[in-house]
Amino acid sequence: MDFKLTSDQELLRDTARRLLAAECPPAAVRAHIEDRSAANGLWGHLAGWTELSSGSLVDLCLFLEEMGAVCAPGPFFATTVLWAPVAAAVGADPQTSGTVAMAGASGIWQPNADPVKTFVLDADRVSQIAFVLPGPSVAIAADVQLRQVETLDFSRPVFEAHVPGDSGAPVAPAVIEDLLERAWVGLSAELVGTARWLFDTTLAYAKSRVQFDRPIGSFQAIQHKLADMALAIERAVAAVYYAAMTIDAADPERHRAVHVAKAAANAAAHRAAKDGIQIHGGIGYTWECDLHLWMRRAFASEALLGTTDWHHDRLADLVLV
Amino acid sequence: MELAWGPDEERFRSLLTAFLDEYTPPELRGGRDWMSAAAEDKANGDIIPEWSRKWQATLFDHGWMVPGYPASLGGREATPTQTLIYMEELSARGIIRSAHFPGYAIVAPSLLEFGTESQKAMAPAAIRGDTIWCIGMSEPNAGSDLASLSTRASKDGEEFIVNGQKVWTSYAMAAQKCFCYVRTATDVPKHKGISVVIIDMDTPGIEVRPLRNIGGTAEFAEVFFSDVRVPSDRLVGRLNDGWRITLGSLAHERGGLWVQGVATTSHALDGLLALCKAKGLDRDPTVRRRLAAAYEQVQSLRALGYKGFSSYAQGSSAPEHSYLKMATSELGKSLFELGVELLGPFGPVNDAERGEQAGRWVRGFFMSLANTIAGGSAEIQRNIIAERLLGLPRG
Repeated sequence: MDFKLTSDQELLRDTARRLLAAECPPAAVRAHIEDRSAANGLWGHLAGWTELSSGSLVDLCLFLEEMGAVCAPGPFFATTVLWAPVAAAVGADPQTSGTVAMAGASGIWQPNADPVKTFVLDADRVSQIAFVLPGPSVAIAADVQLRQVETLDFSRPVFEAHVPGDSGAPVAPAVIEDLLERAWVGLSAELVGTARWLFDTTLAYAKSRVQFDRPIGSFQAIQHKLADMALAIERAVAAVYYAAMTIDAADPERHRAVHVAKAAANAAAHRAAKDGIQIHGGIGYTWECDLHLWMRRAFASEALLGTTDWHHDRLADLVLV
Repeated sequence: MELAWGPDEERFRSLLTAFLDEYTPPELRGGRDWMSAAAEDKANGDIIPEWSRKWQATLFDHGWMVPGYPASLGGREATPTQTLIYMEELSARGIIRSAHFPGYAIVAPSLLEFGTESQKAMAPAAIRGDTIWCIGMSEPNAGSDLASLSTRASKDGEEFIVNGQKVWTSYAMAAQKCFCYVRTATDVPKHKGISVVIIDMDTPGIEVRPLRNIGGTAEFAEVFFSDVRVPSDRLVGRLNDGWRITLGSLAHERGGLWVQGVATTSHALDGLLALCKAKGLDRDPTVRRRLAAAYEQVQSLRALGYKGFSSYAQGSSAPEHSYLKMATSELGKSLFELGVELLGPFGPVNDAERGEQAGRWVRGFFMSLANTIAGGSAEIQRNIIAERLLGLPRG
């Protein structure tokens, strides 16, 4: 069991980090709130990276973690994590932009007959949508009736999409199961990136903010909060990459590890957001401070593709046999 | 990143499992809960039971006591990864090496690193368990603030004269020797006036008073020193340089120390799952969620241990492992607490006929309270993480 990154993986991570620092600064995340096209430039740089979807999940997760760390807008996650595996299974082009519509009225991601799909990510910025229908089967559509649903997260718009009339092509149930397991881990990788930014930003603030003639980070109450945030992130990162390794190795342990990863990543991001704002004090409560943008992403991703309770329930089904 | 171990590691594992299959004593077989078993043994006054002494010697003689050491020290020069596999396999089987850890895990490595030739020669017996050691560290006024210790060693010709008191000294009532931290200078910053001396426990002037713990058994003691004469060649390392010895432990195994912590929580979780099935609690949705949350904790901490080991094995520091002591000790406590809670009215019952598993959960909970106190409290662990890993200014 080796968590060490290969030199290629280190290069991938460092390249992603450099690219995203240049192309997705906080100002770009903010600009995207008012003008969705502000993310077009970034997508231009990312389109070449979508082929990560056909490689190892560990590699894709390394990239997604960096995407989460900059709160990147745009359809990269939808395309590489959701669209590409479905497209490959039905003979569509996995490299074009796309997204997947699966959840119905309940918001739960499982095949269903509901006529309107919910939580369709970035549906207005992609060229095709794969509808997962009962069977399971998959219908690909380009022209779809959409309605944007307002959520707290500006960085990743979600839509309701009307299921097209044509019936889908049947796919093996394993395609959908694998899609979901990859998606849980991929989103978890993003979440730990988001958590890491919230933590790093808060740690830096605790070192520089002076009250009572000393940095607030010298107070034990603040130190212990930061230690707990750091622990939550450390264990989530380990759980995410462990899960990704089990998927890459097609190890049977993956069916449990994927739920552990999402639950742990949810916990890390939630804590980093909440305690991050608490440690920032009044300034953290302002619109001007960037923290809330990352908190919005964290909370939306926490609920997306299964809340912690939902994943714990699935995990209990597997553990209590 | 790679999930599987290589063929060399798996060969090492099969050598080990063949040995364990043949030699493991009955006391450690069949998933016997050794923590509870050890508590029973201690309740019987058997602080280091005979089976443990024999087992430790057997491990040593076959080169399986500290695999990273050479054969003369009870090992076989195993690599760090092989050592990790050793820890993994032992904890998966619920096997401990000895009911007495200070000798092989702390004293012997310190003697080998800091001792004179004649002190180094004491290491094999410490590792084999032939010599029982205690470690004199904490004092009534030096707990978390260990550097404040005041047990005094004054030089008198070729001897030190030791006066003072130690407390929480594990195994003191069974020990032949004490690895004792003493104050040898008072006119310097407090951590620069500490030395280590080896004291024979049968030296006149030593009084050991067993101290019953919260569970009612005595495995630690108070040790009083009144004009205890110690030959000056029993000084370990240089005079006033003892503080850095406090940081020493089994360097060969530092990458795998977390395994036992994770294994303890993992065994507790397995016990909880079995308990819930036996009592039909596994149909309660709230209970199911809490068990899943516990499973998430155990598995993510296990992954964190392996992640830290990957850094350690390539010679980097492994900050992950600093988090694991804190996290596993707190998790262990909460798992036993959950066991007590799930038993409802029978939670506190410790009766062989009426208590569930004869009070395993409530007794385990009591014992687990020590884990967030001993060897650096959870609060001190957080201070260390904040200051050393996160670089926050000292409070």
